[in-house]
Amino acid sequence: MDILFLLIPLSVALVFFILGALWWAVHRGQFEDIEAEGERILRND
Amino acid sequence: MTSAHLAEDVLSSPSAQVVVDEHLRLLDDPEEWPQFSQADPTQEGCWTSSVVFEGMHCAACAISIEDALRQVPGVKSVQVSAASHRGRVVWSARQTQPSVWMQASAAAGYKAVPANDAHAHERRRQEARRMVWRVAVAGLCMMQVMMYATPAYVAEAGDITPDMLQLLRWASWVLSLPVILFSCTPFFAAAWKDLRQRRIGMDLPVAIGMIGTFVVSSLGTFEPDGPFGAEVYFDSLSMFVFFLLMGRWMELRMRERTAGALEAVLNRLPDSVNRRTADGHWERVSIRRLAVGDVLEVLPGEAFAGDGTLLAGQTQVDEALLTGESRPLTRQAGDAVIAGSHNLSGRVELRVEQVGAATRYAQIVALMESASVHKPAMAELADRLAKPFLMGVLLASAGAAIAWWPQGPGHAVMVAVAVLVVTCPCALSLATPAAMLAAAGALARSGVLVRHLQALQSLSEVDTVVFDKTGTLTLDSFGVARLHLREGVSPDLAWQLAERMAAHSLHPVSRAMAAQARQRRMDQGQAAETEGLPPGWVLTEHPGQGLHAQWPLSDGNVGFLRWGSARFCEAPELASDRLQVSLADHKGWLATFELHETLRPEAAQVVAALHRRGLSVQVLSGDAEPAVAEVAGSLGITQFRGACSPQDKLQAIQVLQEQGHKVAMVGDGLNDGPVLAGADVSFALGQALALTQSKADMVLMSGRLDLLEQTWVRSRQTLRVVRQNLTWSVAYNMACVPLALLGWLPAWAAGLGMALSSLLVVLNALRLSAALAPAQSVN
Repeated sequence: MDILFLLIPLSVALVFFILGALWWAVHRGQFEDIEAEGERILRND
Repeated sequence: MTSAHLAEDVLSSPSAQVVVDEHLRLLDDPEEWPQFSQADPTQEGCWTSSVVFEGMHCAACAISIEDALRQVPGVKSVQVSAASHRGRVVWSARQTQPSVWMQASAAAGYKAVPANDAHAHERRRQEARRMVWRVAVAGLCMMQVMMYATPAYVAEAGDITPDMLQLLRWASWVLSLPVILFSCTPFFAAAWKDLRQRRIGMDLPVAIGMIGTFVVSSLGTFEPDGPFGAEVYFDSLSMFVFFLLMGRWMELRMRERTAGALEAVLNRLPDSVNRRTADGHWERVSIRRLAVGDVLEVLPGEAFAGDGTLLAGQTQVDEALLTGESRPLTRQAGDAVIAGSHNLSGRVELRVEQVGAATRYAQIVALMESASVHKPAMAELADRLAKPFLMGVLLASAGAAIAWWPQGPGHAVMVAVAVLVVTCPCALSLATPAAMLAAAGALARSGVLVRHLQALQSLSEVDTVVFDKTGTLTLDSFGVARLHLREGVSPDLAWQLAERMAAHSLHPVSRAMAAQARQRRMDQGQAAETEGLPPGWVLTEHPGQGLHAQWPLSDGNVGFLRWGSARFCEAPELASDRLQVSLADHKGWLATFELHETLRPEAAQVVAALHRRGLSVQVLSGDAEPAVAEVAGSLGITQFRGACSPQDKLQAIQVLQEQGHKVAMVGDGLNDGPVLAGADVSFALGQALALTQSKADMVLMSGRLDLLEQTWVRSRQTLRVVRQNLTWSVAYNMACVPLALLGWLPAWAAGLGMALSSLLVVLNALRLSAALAPAQSVN
C-alpha cells in the first residue's frame, strides 16, 4: 500500500490542475450564456 | 427578445475597462446626471438618482448603506432594496456631488454604480463570474476532501495505519486552503465590514463558524495530541461552504430573473441612433445628443429612442413591455410611437417629440424603480427582527460550546458551528420582498404597473371595488340613441350638417359626433365632405352653449346654423334625461341627437368576474343620477350614486372604510386625485396619463379593465406566498436550533439546510412570476 503515499499527493496535484482548467473556462465566459449556444443552430446568421 | 439581448451585450461590452475613480469623477458633470437621475420638481436643486449597489447580501446590508449615505451632508433621503440591489438617493446639487456620496457608499463597503448604465450590467457580469468560480472551487475541493475523509469513516480499527491517516488529513488540509482562503472570502469580507462598523450582519455567525471549524481541524492535523484531539472536520467545512455558496449563487440567478421585467425595460433604449443631418445625410449619434425635433431613421429590429410621430414608412411595432398589448400594432406615417417600443417590420422615419426623462418610457422606468425600493411593511418588520435574532444566535452558540466543552472541546466547537450556520436568517429577510418583486415583475409584463409593493398587500385585502363612471366604465365616446327631426328633414341632411358643424368644435361631444358622422357617411359610400367651411361662412363659438355659423344668402338675408345645447337651438323638450345635442337654422329647431354613452366592451365581463370573486362593486360618479343608473343597470351593479362631487366620493369611500370594508378605487387617474388617495388601493387607467403625476397605486397601462380581476387574484396569491415563506423560515429556525444545540445536526447538514431554506423561499416566490392569464379578446 506504499503506493498510496505517492497517489494521494498526486491526487492533490490533479485537483489543482483541474481547478486551473476550470479557472480558464469560467473566465473565458464558458458558463455565462448556456442557452445561446443551443439556440444558435436555429438562427439564420 | 433574444436579439435585443444580444444587441445590448454587444453594445455594452466596450465600457468594461473604465477605471472606477475616473468613472466617479465623470459623474460630477451635470450633463451626465440625467442619465441616472431625475431633477426633483418639488425641491429646487435636488436630484433623485438610481444606483445599483455591489456586494450586497442581505437586508442588513441595505440598512448599512442607508446609514452610510444619510451621513453625507447634502443627501436628503436614501432608500435601498435588498432584493433588487437597487437604491434611490435624493441629493442636493448645491451641497454634494454624486462622486462624494458614491465614495461614502464605497467606504462602507458597497460600490455604487449608476443604474441605467451599461457599466452596471458589465460589473454584474463580472460579479456573477466570480461567484461561479467560487462555487466551482468549493465544489471541486469538497469532492476530493470527502474522498480523503471516507476511509476514516468506513475503516475498522487497525485497517489504516496511523501515518496513512495523517497523510489523508494533510491532503484534506491542503485542499481546504483554497476553500477557506478564496471561496469563503465574501463571507469574511461581509462579516469584517459589519464588525468595523460595530454591527451584526448575517454573515458574522457564518464566518465565525468557518474559521472555528478550520482552526479546530488544523489543530487536529498538526497537533493530534492537543486539547482538540485528532478529529478533523474538513469535510464538513468544505461541504457547508459549498452549500452556502451554491444557495447564494442560485439566489443571485433567480433574483436576476425576477428583476427581469425591470431590466428588460431598463435596457430597452438603443445606445445610438441614426439622425438626419441638415443636409439630409444620416449620422450615427449617441442617444444623449438627441433633441426634440430630430428626425431619426429606425430600422426593423431597433427600438425607438424617443416618443414621436412617424414621418414616413409603415411598420408594425411591439409595445408589449410598455402597455401590456402583446399583439403587434400597425403604425404608419402620422401615427405616434413611444420610446422603448420595438420596430418590427419596416424601415421608418421618426420625428422626435419627447426625449430622455420626458418620455413615457422614462416615466414607466422611474415608476418601476421606485416600486422596487419601497419596502413593504412586512419586510421592514423582518429586518427589524433580524438584529436581535442574530444576537440571540451568537449567545446560543456560545452557550452550546460551553455546555458541550466537557464532552470534548472539538465536538463542542462543532456544535456551536452548527448553531451558527443553521440559523442564518436569510430566508426570513428574503421572504417578503422576493415574493412581492416577483409578482410586481409579472404584473408589469402584463401591463399593470405597481407603484409601491405595499399596494399588493392592500389589494389582497380588498372586498369592495368602486368604479368611477366616465372614462372608466364608459369610453370617452358617445353613441346616438335616437334622432329627433323636424318635419321634412331627412336624417342624411341632419347628419351632413352635424358633421360640418361638429368638425369645427373641440368639445368632446362634437368630436365624437364628427367621427360618427364621418363613419356613417363612409359606410353609405358617400363622397367626402369638402375640407373647411363653404365660402362666406363665419363661425362664432358661444362657450357653454354651442357653435353659431352664418353666411350671406343670395336674397340679401343672412342664413345661419346653430349646433349645441337644447336651449341654444330652441329645441323641444325631450322625455329622456340623456345627453343631447341639437341643430337649428333660420327656420328654427332642426334636429336633436339623443346620445348614450358607450360602455367599455370589457366592462360587463369585468364586473361579472368581480362579482363571481365575491367582491362588491359600486359606482360613484359626478354625472347625473339617471345616466349613472343606466350604466350601472346595464352592468348589473346595484349600488351606485350619481351627482357626486369629489368630496362626496371621498366621503362615500370613508363611510365604507368605517364599516370595515377595504376599498379599491378605479378611476381615470386625472380628475379624482383625492378619491384615489383616500381609497385603500387605487387603480388608474393609464393610456393618456402623465404617469408621474398620477396618484394611483397601480396603473393599468393598456387602458383596459380586464386585468383588474387577474391583478386582484395575483395579489392574493402573493400574500399567500409571503405568509408561506414567513411561516417556513420561522418554523425552520425553530426546529433546527434545538437540534443543533443538542448536537444532532452536523455542520454540513446545517449548511445544506440553510441554503435550501433560502432557496425554497426564492423558488416559492418565483411561482408568482408566471405571466397573468391572457386577457380575453373583446374585439
